[in-house]
Amino acid sequence: MIVRSTAALALLAVLTTGAAAQDGAALFAPCRACHALDPAAPATAGPNLSGLLGRKVAGDARFDYSPVLRQAREAGRTWTADALEKFIADPEAMFPGTWMSRIPLANVADRQALVRFITDPASR
Amino acid sequence: MIDRRRFMTATAATLAAPALLRSPALAQTQNGFRVKYFPVPEAARSRDVTACSDNVTMWFCSQGNGKLGRLDPRDGSYKMINLGEGSAPHGVIVGPDKAAWVTDGGQNAIVRVDNDHKVTVFKLPIKEYANLNTGAFDKTGIYWFTGQSGYHGRLDPKSGDPQVWKSPGGAGSYGMTVTPQGDIWFASLAGNHIAKIDLKTGDATMVKPPTASQGARRVWSDSKGQLWVSEWNSGNVSMHDPAANTWKTWKLPGEKPRTYSVYVDDRDKVWLTDFSANAIVRFDPATEQFTSFASDKPNANVRQMDGKPGQAWGGESGTNRLVMIETLSPPA
Repeated sequence: MIVRSTAALALLAVLTTGAAAQDGAALFAPCRACHALDPAAPATAGPNLSGLLGRKVAGDARFDYSPVLRQAREAGRTWTADALEKFIADPEAMFPGTWMSRIPLANVADRQALVRFITDPASR
Repeated sequence: MIDRRRFMTATAATLAAPALLRSPALAQTQNGFRVKYFPVPEAARSRDVTACSDNVTMWFCSQGNGKLGRLDPRDGSYKMINLGEGSAPHGVIVGPDKAAWVTDGGQNAIVRVDNDHKVTVFKLPIKEYANLNTGAFDKTGIYWFTGQSGYHGRLDPKSGDPQVWKSPGGAGSYGMTVTPQGDIWFASLAGNHIAKIDLKTGDATMVKPPTASQGARRVWSDSKGQLWVSEWNSGNVSMHDPAANTWKTWKLPGEKPRTYSVYVDDRDKVWLTDFSANAIVRFDPATEQFTSFASDKPNANVRQMDGKPGQAWGGESGTNRLVMIETLSPPA
């Protein structure tokens, strides 16, 4: 396939290389369509992500989760940075049947930067 | 307008559709409807569907592996077409040119696939990740689209020149529809509104459903131009009549319904998907009755529906199957 556009290549870099790995805010921008980081934010289409690290899976009491995530909560699973990075890479591979769709973030450094942004308020 | 003029061509007849694959379809009958499942195991996260221009075969997006599928429901065979590096196709519709037009979030591009499976990629003229979602053609043949990061845009197939605007109210731009009058509307999941686009300027005007924080996810016009809205947060289906400026709202049956998608068929019957019930739900506006079709597998997660006369179709993103519900007898 032929692609003729430097802008497109730049975008591809953002999505597939570590070039933007430090920019957690930019990486989180698409997530804002469904998620909030402020614990006082009104309910959104997905669960609130404040205090996620160490929190039980399916731990936002205001959100009614998919059955597979409720089962994970009942099993006592909690969010770690590694688990979150794995989930972002392919939510349905980790929790088949989850309602969340995958955001195409092919590069592990970008996913790690996104995890840092979500889990560490000091990084924002 | 944010930016424009980036004609990204990427044409290619790259991709050779792999050998024909075939899986047996499974059928069940329920009170005047036949439900049929079509396994597409080579797909990953099968989701949006639409009828091909031959009105026989069905296009479907395989978001998890960057392919567009084409199913022949007569025998369950299907082909998979590679859309390009990094592709993650979300929505597909058929244009006046009879080709499939795909909103490809992974490539940040609109992708055209013709009936010979030649692929052309039109990159968006912005560097931001739009999270492309759904498209619709207006009456003049202009393709309009949404991006969930908070964008809407258009592409003239003649020039291949896309334009993009920031949607009012920020992130959330999701489902899109065209009315018989030729108007283009979209829903904003995060913005909790629907919006009408001025086709000349690209500006969008928001209209709020009566339920607060309802999560308007998808929208579909009926034959009169009334807009049906699936409300993810509230579990409602609502209907807006733009001519009368009125709304009606109905709660889906069951406990804590989650109304993901909406499609209005050729008889103006309304098809919804409810993630909580793991079901496709038909709503008859004439009787205000719901009929539920639970999937025979858990976690079906049908995220969009479309169809052809007498048939409502969806993609079970959680099972890698397509589902078709055929109306065997006219509704009362």
